[in-house]
Amino acid sequence: MSAVRTSSVRSAIDDGRLGERLWFYANYVCNLACSYCLTESAPDVPARELDGALMRSLAAEGAGLGFRSIGVTGGEPFMRRDAVPLLADLADVLPLVVLSNGTLFTGARLRALGRLAAHPVRIQISLDSSTAVANDAMRGPENFRKVVEAIPKLIDMGIGVRIATTVQHRDADDLAALCELHRSLGVPDDDHVVRGIVRRGRALMRGMGEDAGIDRLGPELTITTDGAFWSPFGPTIAEGRLDTDLMVARDVRTLAPAAGALIGVIDGSRYTGPEDDRFT
Amino acid sequence: MSGPIVRMLTGDTAPLTARRVFERGDPGPIAASLAHVPELLEVGLPFFGRALRGVTVGLRTAELVIVRASAVLGCRYCTLTHAAVALDADVTPEEVRALCSDQPAAAARDDRERSLLAWVDAVAAGHGPVVTELTDAMSAWADDATLIELTTMVGCTVLLNRYCSSLGLPVSAGSMARLDEAGVTPDALGFGEGEDTGEEREMPA
Repeated sequence: MSAVRTSSVRSAIDDGRLGERLWFYANYVCNLACSYCLTESAPDVPARELDGALMRSLAAEGAGLGFRSIGVTGGEPFMRRDAVPLLADLADVLPLVVLSNGTLFTGARLRALGRLAAHPVRIQISLDSSTAVANDAMRGPENFRKVVEAIPKLIDMGIGVRIATTVQHRDADDLAALCELHRSLGVPDDDHVVRGIVRRGRALMRGMGEDAGIDRLGPELTITTDGAFWSPFGPTIAEGRLDTDLMVARDVRTLAPAAGALIGVIDGSRYTGPEDDRFT
Repeated sequence: MSGPIVRMLTGDTAPLTARRVFERGDPGPIAASLAHVPELLEVGLPFFGRALRGVTVGLRTAELVIVRASAVLGCRYCTLTHAAVALDADVTPEEVRALCSDQPAAAARDDRERSLLAWVDAVAAGHGPVVTELTDAMSAWADDATLIELTTMVGCTVLLNRYCSSLGLPVSAGSMARLDEAGVTPDALGFGEGEDTGEEREMPA
Protein backbone atom coordinates (compact mmCIF):
# COMPACT_ATOMS: atom_id res chain seq x y z
CA MET A 1 0.00 0.00 0.00
CA SER A 2 1.20 3.46 -0.70
CA ALA A 3 2.78 5.51 2.03
CA VAL A 4 0.65 8.23 3.49
CA ARG A 5 1.62 11.49 5.06
CA THR A 6 -0.01 12.74 8.21
CA SER A 7 -1.12 15.83 6.36
CA SER A 8 -3.02 13.83 3.75
CA VAL A 9 -5.16 12.07 6.38
CA ARG A 10 -5.77 15.31 8.23
CA SER A 11 -6.76 17.13 5.07
CA ALA A 12 -9.04 14.25 4.00
CA ILE A 13 -10.80 14.55 7.35
CA ASP A 14 -10.84 18.34 7.26
CA ASP A 15 -12.43 18.49 3.83
CA GLY A 16 -14.94 15.75 4.63
CA ARG A 17 -13.62 13.06 2.30
CA LEU A 18 -12.84 10.79 5.25
CA GLY A 19 -14.89 10.37 8.40
CA GLU A 20 -13.35 11.87 11.51
CA ARG A 21 -14.03 8.78 13.65
CA LEU A 22 -11.66 5.84 13.80
CA TRP A 23 -13.53 2.59 14.42
CA PHE A 24 -12.38 -0.55 16.16
CA TYR A 25 -14.14 -3.91 16.16
CA ALA A 26 -13.36 -4.97 19.71
CA ASN A 27 -14.63 -8.51 19.11
CA TYR A 28 -17.22 -10.54 17.24
CA VAL A 29 -18.77 -12.49 20.09
CA CYS A 30 -22.03 -11.31 21.66
CA ASN A 31 -24.43 -12.52 24.32
CA LEU A 32 -27.27 -11.85 21.87
CA ALA A 33 -28.00 -13.08 18.34
CA CYS A 34 -30.06 -10.29 16.80
CA SER A 35 -31.99 -11.08 13.64
CA TYR A 36 -30.30 -8.40 11.53
CA CYS A 37 -26.78 -8.57 12.99
CA LEU A 38 -24.15 -7.56 10.43
CA THR A 39 -21.55 -9.86 11.90
CA GLU A 40 -23.62 -12.94 12.74
CA SER A 41 -22.51 -12.35 16.30
CA ALA A 42 -23.79 -14.76 18.92
CA PRO A 43 -22.63 -16.36 22.18
CA ASP A 44 -21.12 -19.36 20.41
CA VAL A 45 -19.04 -17.66 17.70
CA PRO A 46 -15.27 -17.16 18.05
CA ALA A 47 -14.48 -14.00 20.05
CA ARG A 48 -11.89 -12.76 17.54
CA GLU A 49 -10.83 -9.89 19.77
CA LEU A 50 -8.73 -7.07 18.42
CA ASP A 51 -5.60 -6.95 20.54
CA GLY A 52 -5.88 -4.33 23.27
CA ALA A 53 -2.29 -3.14 22.99
CA LEU A 54 -2.75 -2.75 19.26
CA MET A 55 -5.92 -0.72 19.77
CA ARG A 56 -4.09 1.61 22.17
CA SER A 57 -1.23 1.99 19.73
CA LEU A 58 -3.50 2.62 16.74
CA ALA A 59 -5.58 5.12 18.71
CA ALA A 60 -2.47 7.12 19.55
CA GLU A 61 -1.32 7.00 15.95
CA GLY A 62 -4.81 7.92 14.79
CA ALA A 63 -4.85 11.01 16.98
CA GLY A 64 -1.55 12.05 15.46
CA LEU A 65 -2.89 11.49 11.96
CA GLY A 66 -5.86 13.74 12.61
CA PHE A 67 -8.73 11.50 13.66
CA ARG A 68 -10.96 13.29 16.14
CA SER A 69 -12.87 10.51 17.84
CA ILE A 70 -12.96 6.76 18.32
CA GLY A 71 -15.81 4.32 17.87
CA VAL A 72 -15.70 0.86 19.41
CA THR A 73 -18.13 -1.79 18.29
CA GLY A 74 -18.44 -5.56 18.05
CA GLY A 75 -19.88 -8.09 18.86
CA GLU A 76 -20.58 -6.88 22.32
CA PRO A 77 -17.49 -4.94 23.46
CA PHE A 78 -18.40 -5.33 27.13
CA MET A 79 -17.92 -9.09 26.87
CA ARG A 80 -14.20 -8.39 26.85
CA ARG A 81 -12.60 -8.86 30.23
CA ASP A 82 -10.48 -5.75 29.67
CA ALA A 83 -13.33 -3.62 28.33
CA VAL A 84 -13.42 -0.92 31.00
CA PRO A 85 -9.69 -0.19 31.34
CA LEU A 86 -9.29 -0.45 27.57
CA LEU A 87 -12.09 2.01 26.86
CA ALA A 88 -10.78 4.37 29.51
CA ASP A 89 -7.32 4.32 27.97
CA LEU A 90 -8.67 4.88 24.47
CA ALA A 91 -10.83 7.73 25.67
CA ASP A 92 -7.77 9.37 27.16
CA VAL A 93 -6.51 9.65 23.58
CA LEU A 94 -9.70 10.73 21.82
CA PRO A 95 -13.37 11.06 22.78
CA LEU A 96 -15.02 7.70 22.41
CA VAL A 97 -18.38 6.15 21.70
CA VAL A 98 -18.84 2.47 22.37
CA LEU A 99 -21.74 0.52 20.88
CA SER A 100 -23.40 -1.93 23.23
CA ASN A 101 -26.57 -3.95 23.53
CA GLY A 102 -26.86 -2.67 27.09
CA THR A 103 -27.87 -6.00 28.60
CA LEU A 104 -24.77 -6.72 30.66
CA PHE A 105 -24.89 -3.69 32.94
CA THR A 106 -25.77 -5.22 36.27
CA GLY A 107 -23.98 -6.01 39.52
CA ALA A 108 -20.19 -5.84 39.54
CA ARG A 109 -20.03 -5.14 35.81
CA LEU A 110 -22.22 -2.07 36.25
CA ARG A 111 -20.16 -0.85 39.19
CA ALA A 112 -16.95 -1.25 37.19
CA LEU A 113 -18.35 1.08 34.56
CA GLY A 114 -18.15 3.89 37.09
CA ARG A 115 -14.54 4.39 36.09
CA LEU A 116 -15.67 5.51 32.63
CA ALA A 117 -17.54 8.49 34.03
CA ALA A 118 -14.24 10.31 34.42
CA HIS A 119 -13.45 9.89 30.73
CA PRO A 120 -15.05 11.22 27.53
CA VAL A 121 -16.93 7.98 26.91
CA ARG A 122 -20.46 7.63 25.68
CA ILE A 123 -22.28 4.33 25.42
CA GLN A 124 -24.59 3.91 22.45
CA ILE A 125 -27.22 1.34 23.33
CA SER A 126 -29.51 -0.39 20.88
CA LEU A 127 -33.25 -0.12 21.41
CA ASP A 128 -35.41 -0.87 18.41
CA SER A 129 -38.99 -0.34 19.54
CA SER A 130 -41.12 1.25 22.21
CA THR A 131 -42.54 -2.12 23.15
CA ALA A 132 -40.86 -5.15 24.59
CA VAL A 133 -42.72 -7.46 22.22
CA ALA A 134 -41.48 -5.76 19.04
CA ASN A 135 -38.01 -5.01 20.37
CA ASP A 136 -37.37 -8.45 21.76
CA ALA A 137 -38.57 -10.12 18.57
CA MET A 138 -35.53 -8.59 16.87
CA ARG A 139 -33.04 -8.67 19.72
CA GLY A 140 -33.98 -11.53 22.02
CA PRO A 141 -35.92 -12.23 25.21
CA GLU A 142 -35.68 -9.74 28.10
CA ASN A 143 -33.67 -7.31 25.99
CA PHE A 144 -36.13 -4.44 26.35
CA ARG A 145 -36.39 -4.77 30.13
CA LYS A 146 -32.63 -4.96 30.65
CA VAL A 147 -31.96 -1.94 28.49
CA VAL A 148 -34.67 0.21 30.01
CA GLU A 149 -33.37 -0.66 33.48
CA ALA A 150 -29.72 -0.02 32.60
CA ILE A 151 -29.97 3.37 30.92
CA PRO A 152 -31.03 5.46 33.95
CA LYS A 153 -28.39 3.75 36.07
CA LEU A 154 -25.67 4.67 33.60
CA ILE A 155 -26.87 8.24 33.44
CA ASP A 156 -26.96 8.42 37.23
CA MET A 157 -23.33 7.28 37.24
CA GLY A 158 -22.43 10.19 35.00
CA ILE A 159 -21.95 8.19 31.83
CA GLY A 160 -23.28 9.63 28.60
CA VAL A 161 -25.83 7.43 26.84
CA ARG A 162 -27.04 7.48 23.26
CA ILE A 163 -29.76 5.27 21.84
CA ALA A 164 -29.58 3.67 18.40
CA THR A 165 -32.74 2.37 16.82
CA THR A 166 -32.46 0.02 13.87
CA VAL A 167 -35.64 -0.52 11.93
CA GLN A 168 -36.78 -2.61 9.00
CA HIS A 169 -39.71 -0.31 8.28
CA ARG A 170 -40.30 3.08 9.83
CA ASP A 171 -43.40 3.15 12.00
CA ALA A 172 -44.15 6.76 12.93
CA ASP A 173 -46.35 5.86 15.90
CA ASP A 174 -43.81 3.48 17.36
CA LEU A 175 -40.98 5.97 16.81
CA ALA A 176 -42.97 8.69 18.57
CA ALA A 177 -43.58 6.36 21.50
CA LEU A 178 -39.92 5.36 21.53
CA CYS A 179 -38.87 9.01 21.66
CA GLU A 180 -41.20 9.52 24.61
CA LEU A 181 -39.56 6.55 26.26
CA HIS A 182 -35.95 7.64 25.73
CA ARG A 183 -36.73 11.12 26.99
CA SER A 184 -38.27 9.59 30.08
CA LEU A 185 -35.08 7.59 30.57
CA GLY A 186 -32.99 10.76 30.43
CA VAL A 187 -31.75 10.56 26.83
CA PRO A 188 -32.44 13.72 24.80
CA ASP A 189 -33.51 13.73 21.15
CA ASP A 190 -30.03 14.71 19.98
CA ASP A 191 -28.71 11.47 21.38
CA HIS A 192 -31.19 9.25 19.57
CA VAL A 193 -30.24 7.93 16.15
CA VAL A 194 -32.60 5.98 13.86
CA ARG A 195 -31.22 3.96 10.97
CA GLY A 196 -32.28 1.29 8.54
CA ILE A 197 -31.09 -2.28 8.42
CA VAL A 198 -28.15 -2.86 6.14
CA ARG A 199 -28.50 -5.97 3.99
CA ARG A 200 -25.31 -7.70 5.03
CA GLY A 201 -24.45 -10.47 7.46
CA ARG A 202 -27.42 -12.15 9.07
CA ALA A 203 -29.77 -9.54 7.55
CA LEU A 204 -28.66 -10.65 4.09
CA MET A 205 -29.31 -14.28 4.93
CA ARG A 206 -32.79 -13.38 6.14
CA GLY A 207 -33.63 -11.03 3.30
CA MET A 208 -33.82 -7.97 5.54
CA GLY A 209 -32.71 -4.38 4.98
CA GLU A 210 -31.29 -2.48 2.04
CA ASP A 211 -28.12 -2.91 0.01
CA ALA A 212 -25.32 -0.57 0.94
CA GLY A 213 -22.05 -0.17 -0.92
CA ILE A 214 -19.44 2.55 -0.89
CA ASP A 215 -21.83 4.80 -2.78
CA ARG A 216 -24.12 4.84 0.24
CA LEU A 217 -21.72 4.32 3.13
CA GLY A 218 -19.51 7.17 4.17
CA PRO A 219 -15.82 6.25 4.45
CA GLU A 220 -14.83 5.73 8.08
CA LEU A 221 -11.62 3.81 8.68
CA THR A 222 -12.54 0.64 10.55
CA ILE A 223 -10.02 -1.72 12.07
CA THR A 224 -10.70 -5.35 12.90
CA THR A 225 -8.59 -8.35 13.65
CA ASP A 226 -8.86 -9.19 9.92
CA GLY A 227 -7.76 -5.85 8.50
CA ALA A 228 -8.97 -2.37 7.64
CA PHE A 229 -12.33 -1.63 6.06
CA TRP A 230 -14.20 1.18 4.32
CA SER A 231 -16.72 1.61 7.13
CA PRO A 232 -18.02 -0.11 10.25
CA PHE A 233 -20.64 -1.69 7.96
CA GLY A 234 -17.81 -3.40 6.05
CA PRO A 235 -16.35 -6.24 8.11
CA THR A 236 -19.50 -8.31 8.04
CA ILE A 237 -19.88 -12.05 8.33
CA ALA A 238 -22.23 -14.06 6.12
CA GLU A 239 -22.63 -17.79 6.60
CA GLY A 240 -19.62 -17.79 8.87
CA ARG A 241 -17.33 -16.20 6.31
CA LEU A 242 -15.83 -12.72 6.38
CA ASP A 243 -16.99 -10.39 3.60
CA THR A 244 -13.94 -8.85 1.97
CA ASP A 245 -15.69 -6.59 -0.52
CA LEU A 246 -15.29 -3.49 1.66
CA MET A 247 -11.80 -4.31 2.89
CA VAL A 248 -8.99 -1.91 2.04
CA ALA A 249 -5.97 -3.52 3.74
CA ARG A 250 -4.93 -6.60 5.66
CA ASP A 251 -2.03 -5.00 7.48
CA VAL A 252 -3.18 -3.04 10.51
CA ARG A 253 -0.02 -3.20 12.56
CA THR A 254 0.20 0.54 11.99
CA LEU A 255 -2.56 2.87 10.93
CA ALA A 256 -0.97 5.08 8.29
CA PRO A 257 -0.80 2.46 5.50
CA ALA A 258 -4.41 1.44 6.09
CA ALA A 259 -5.50 5.09 6.12
CA GLY A 260 -3.51 5.62 2.94
CA ALA A 261 -5.21 2.65 1.28
CA LEU A 262 -8.64 3.99 2.20
CA ILE A 263 -7.82 7.47 0.94
CA GLY A 264 -6.51 5.86 -2.24
CA VAL A 265 -9.89 4.23 -2.80
CA ILE A 266 -11.67 7.49 -2.02
CA ASP A 267 -9.47 9.30 -4.53
CA GLY A 268 -9.64 6.50 -7.09
CA SER A 269 -5.92 5.99 -7.31
CA ARG A 270 -5.54 2.28 -6.80
CA TYR A 271 -3.32 -0.24 -8.55
CA THR A 272 -4.90 -1.54 -11.72
CA GLY A 273 -2.90 -4.69 -12.41
CA PRO A 274 0.04 -5.61 -14.61
CA GLU A 275 0.20 -4.32 -18.17
CA ASP A 276 0.69 -7.84 -19.49
CA ASP A 277 -1.05 -10.58 -17.52
CA ARG A 278 -0.01 -13.51 -19.74
CA PHE A 279 2.70 -14.24 -17.23
CA THR A 280 0.59 -14.53 -14.13
CA MET B 1 -6.93 -32.41 -4.39
CA SER B 2 -10.24 -31.58 -6.06
CA GLY B 3 -9.97 -27.82 -6.47
CA PRO B 4 -8.61 -24.66 -4.95
CA ILE B 5 -8.42 -24.68 -1.17
CA VAL B 6 -9.04 -20.94 -0.96
CA ARG B 7 -11.92 -18.90 -2.31
CA MET B 8 -11.33 -17.30 -5.70
CA LEU B 9 -12.38 -13.67 -5.32
CA THR B 10 -14.22 -11.75 -8.00
CA GLY B 11 -14.79 -8.12 -8.86
CA ASP B 12 -17.71 -8.16 -6.44
CA THR B 13 -16.02 -9.85 -3.51
CA ALA B 14 -12.44 -8.61 -3.71
CA PRO B 15 -11.21 -5.91 -1.34
CA LEU B 16 -11.73 -2.40 -2.65
CA THR B 17 -7.99 -1.96 -3.08
CA ALA B 18 -7.82 -5.06 -5.28
CA ARG B 19 -10.98 -4.41 -7.27
CA ARG B 20 -9.46 -2.79 -10.35
CA VAL B 21 -7.44 -5.87 -11.17
CA PHE B 22 -10.77 -7.45 -12.09
CA GLU B 23 -11.98 -4.60 -14.29
CA ARG B 24 -10.48 -6.05 -17.47
CA GLY B 25 -12.17 -9.41 -16.91
CA ASP B 26 -11.03 -12.58 -15.19
CA PRO B 27 -7.45 -11.92 -14.05
CA GLY B 28 -6.74 -15.62 -13.48
CA PRO B 29 -6.52 -17.61 -10.30
CA ILE B 30 -3.23 -16.19 -9.03
CA ALA B 31 -4.67 -12.68 -8.89
CA ALA B 32 -8.10 -13.94 -7.81
CA SER B 33 -6.54 -15.65 -4.81
CA LEU B 34 -3.80 -13.12 -4.04
CA ALA B 35 -6.51 -10.45 -3.84
CA HIS B 36 -7.28 -11.74 -0.35
CA VAL B 37 -4.17 -9.81 0.68
CA PRO B 38 -4.21 -6.55 -1.28
CA GLU B 39 -0.78 -5.57 0.00
CA LEU B 40 0.71 -8.68 -1.64
CA LEU B 41 -1.36 -8.29 -4.77
CA GLU B 42 -0.20 -4.73 -5.29
CA VAL B 43 3.49 -5.59 -5.24
CA GLY B 44 3.28 -9.26 -6.20
CA LEU B 45 1.51 -9.09 -9.55
CA PRO B 46 3.78 -6.50 -11.14
CA PHE B 47 6.82 -8.31 -9.77
CA PHE B 48 5.67 -11.69 -11.09
CA GLY B 49 4.84 -10.15 -14.44
CA ARG B 50 8.21 -8.41 -14.72
CA ALA B 51 10.28 -11.31 -13.46
CA LEU B 52 8.59 -13.85 -15.72
CA ARG B 53 8.36 -11.65 -18.79
CA GLY B 54 12.08 -10.98 -18.60
CA VAL B 55 13.94 -7.75 -19.03
CA THR B 56 16.33 -8.48 -21.89
CA VAL B 57 15.87 -12.18 -22.64
CA GLY B 58 13.42 -13.12 -25.35
CA LEU B 59 10.02 -14.73 -24.95
CA ARG B 60 11.23 -18.15 -26.10
CA THR B 61 14.03 -18.15 -23.56
CA ALA B 62 11.64 -17.06 -20.82
CA GLU B 63 9.17 -19.82 -21.61
CA LEU B 64 11.89 -22.46 -21.80
CA VAL B 65 12.90 -21.43 -18.30
CA ILE B 66 9.38 -21.23 -16.86
CA VAL B 67 8.01 -24.43 -18.38
CA ARG B 68 11.11 -26.42 -17.46
CA ALA B 69 11.27 -25.15 -13.89
CA SER B 70 7.55 -25.79 -13.45
CA ALA B 71 7.90 -29.32 -14.81
CA VAL B 72 10.80 -30.00 -12.45
CA LEU B 73 8.73 -28.73 -9.53
CA GLY B 74 5.69 -30.70 -10.71
CA CYS B 75 3.31 -27.74 -10.76
CA ARG B 76 0.33 -28.68 -12.90
CA TYR B 77 -1.05 -25.14 -13.07
CA CYS B 78 2.20 -23.43 -14.08
CA THR B 79 3.35 -26.16 -16.44
CA LEU B 80 0.10 -26.37 -18.40
CA THR B 81 -0.53 -22.62 -18.33
CA HIS B 82 2.95 -21.77 -19.57
CA ALA B 83 3.08 -24.67 -22.01
CA ALA B 84 0.16 -22.90 -23.68
CA VAL B 85 2.00 -19.56 -23.55
CA ALA B 86 5.17 -21.21 -24.88
CA LEU B 87 3.36 -22.44 -27.97
CA ASP B 88 2.91 -18.80 -28.91
CA ALA B 89 6.53 -17.96 -28.11
CA ASP B 90 8.29 -19.98 -30.79
CA VAL B 91 8.35 -23.20 -28.77
CA THR B 92 7.08 -26.17 -30.78
CA PRO B 93 4.76 -28.84 -29.38
CA GLU B 94 7.64 -31.33 -29.55
CA GLU B 95 9.85 -28.94 -27.57
CA VAL B 96 7.10 -28.44 -24.99
CA ARG B 97 6.86 -32.20 -24.53
CA ALA B 98 10.65 -32.42 -24.20
CA LEU B 99 10.70 -29.66 -21.56
CA CYS B 100 8.33 -31.75 -19.48
CA SER B 101 10.25 -34.97 -19.91
CA ASP B 102 13.46 -36.41 -18.53
CA GLN B 103 15.18 -35.36 -21.78
CA PRO B 104 14.84 -31.56 -21.66
CA ALA B 105 17.90 -31.02 -23.81
CA ALA B 106 15.82 -32.21 -26.75
CA ALA B 107 14.05 -28.85 -26.54
CA ALA B 108 17.31 -26.95 -27.02
CA ARG B 109 18.23 -25.57 -30.43
CA ASP B 110 21.88 -24.82 -29.60
CA ASP B 111 24.55 -25.16 -26.93
CA ARG B 112 23.38 -22.01 -25.27
CA GLU B 113 19.89 -23.38 -24.66
CA ARG B 114 21.34 -26.74 -23.63
CA SER B 115 23.40 -25.07 -20.91
CA LEU B 116 20.42 -22.96 -19.90
CA LEU B 117 18.12 -25.95 -19.41
CA ALA B 118 20.73 -27.85 -17.41
CA TRP B 119 21.26 -24.78 -15.29
CA VAL B 120 17.49 -24.31 -14.76
CA ASP B 121 17.29 -27.88 -13.46
CA ALA B 122 20.12 -27.19 -11.04
CA VAL B 123 18.65 -23.91 -9.77
CA ALA B 124 15.05 -25.13 -9.53
CA ALA B 125 15.64 -28.45 -7.86
CA GLY B 126 19.12 -28.12 -6.45
CA HIS B 127 20.41 -27.39 -2.99
CA GLY B 128 23.14 -24.85 -2.44
CA PRO B 129 25.40 -23.47 -5.13
CA VAL B 130 25.18 -24.62 -8.73
CA VAL B 131 28.15 -26.78 -9.68
CA THR B 132 31.06 -24.99 -11.37
CA GLU B 133 30.68 -26.93 -14.62
CA LEU B 134 27.17 -25.50 -15.14
CA THR B 135 27.99 -21.95 -14.07
CA ASP B 136 30.98 -21.93 -16.39
CA ALA B 137 28.78 -23.05 -19.28
CA MET B 138 26.30 -20.28 -18.49
CA SER B 139 28.99 -17.63 -18.05
CA ALA B 140 30.23 -18.43 -21.53
CA TRP B 141 27.26 -16.58 -22.98
CA ALA B 142 25.40 -14.85 -20.11
CA ASP B 143 26.80 -11.74 -18.42
CA ASP B 144 26.07 -10.93 -14.77
CA ALA B 145 22.90 -9.02 -15.54
CA THR B 146 21.53 -11.87 -17.61
CA LEU B 147 22.35 -14.37 -14.88
CA ILE B 148 20.52 -12.20 -12.36
CA GLU B 149 17.54 -11.94 -14.66
CA LEU B 150 17.39 -15.68 -15.33
CA THR B 151 17.96 -16.61 -11.70
CA THR B 152 15.15 -14.28 -10.67
CA MET B 153 12.97 -15.85 -13.35
CA VAL B 154 13.61 -19.35 -12.04
CA GLY B 155 13.15 -18.23 -8.45
CA CYS B 156 9.87 -16.49 -9.20
CA THR B 157 8.69 -19.56 -11.10
CA VAL B 158 9.53 -21.79 -8.14
CA LEU B 159 7.67 -19.43 -5.81
CA LEU B 160 4.59 -19.55 -8.02
CA ASN B 161 4.95 -23.32 -8.49
CA ARG B 162 4.67 -23.80 -4.76
CA TYR B 163 1.90 -21.21 -4.48
CA CYS B 164 -0.24 -22.68 -7.26
CA SER B 165 0.33 -26.33 -6.38
CA SER B 166 -0.24 -25.86 -2.67
CA LEU B 167 -3.45 -23.92 -3.20
CA GLY B 168 -4.66 -26.21 -5.98
CA LEU B 169 -5.25 -23.43 -8.49
CA PRO B 170 -7.21 -24.56 -11.58
CA VAL B 171 -5.84 -24.33 -15.12
CA SER B 172 -8.00 -22.10 -17.29
CA ALA B 173 -10.15 -23.49 -20.08
CA GLY B 174 -8.32 -21.17 -22.46
CA SER B 175 -4.94 -22.72 -21.69
CA MET B 176 -6.34 -26.24 -22.03
CA ALA B 177 -7.92 -25.33 -25.36
CA ARG B 178 -4.62 -23.94 -26.67
CA LEU B 179 -2.80 -27.14 -25.71
CA ASP B 180 -5.52 -29.23 -27.28
CA GLU B 181 -5.33 -27.22 -30.46
CA ALA B 182 -1.60 -27.98 -30.66
CA GLY B 183 -2.11 -31.65 -29.89
CA VAL B 184 -0.36 -31.40 -26.55
CA THR B 185 -2.21 -33.42 -23.91
CA PRO B 186 -1.68 -32.97 -20.17
CA ASP B 187 -0.86 -36.66 -20.09
CA ALA B 188 2.03 -36.15 -22.46
CA LEU B 189 3.40 -33.50 -20.09
CA GLY B 190 3.16 -35.82 -17.11
CA PHE B 191 -0.10 -34.54 -15.74
CA GLY B 192 -3.42 -36.35 -15.83
CA GLU B 193 -6.57 -34.84 -17.18
CA GLY B 194 -7.83 -33.99 -13.72
CA GLU B 195 -6.52 -31.76 -10.97
CA ASP B 196 -3.38 -32.29 -8.94
CA THR B 197 -3.38 -35.46 -6.91
CA GLY B 198 -0.69 -34.25 -4.54
CA GLU B 199 1.30 -37.38 -5.32
CA GLU B 200 4.86 -37.24 -6.58
CA ARG B 201 4.89 -36.92 -10.34
CA GLU B 202 7.00 -39.01 -12.62
CA MET B 203 8.40 -37.21 -15.65
CA PRO B 204 7.61 -38.76 -19.01
CA ALA B 205 10.60 -40.40 -20.63
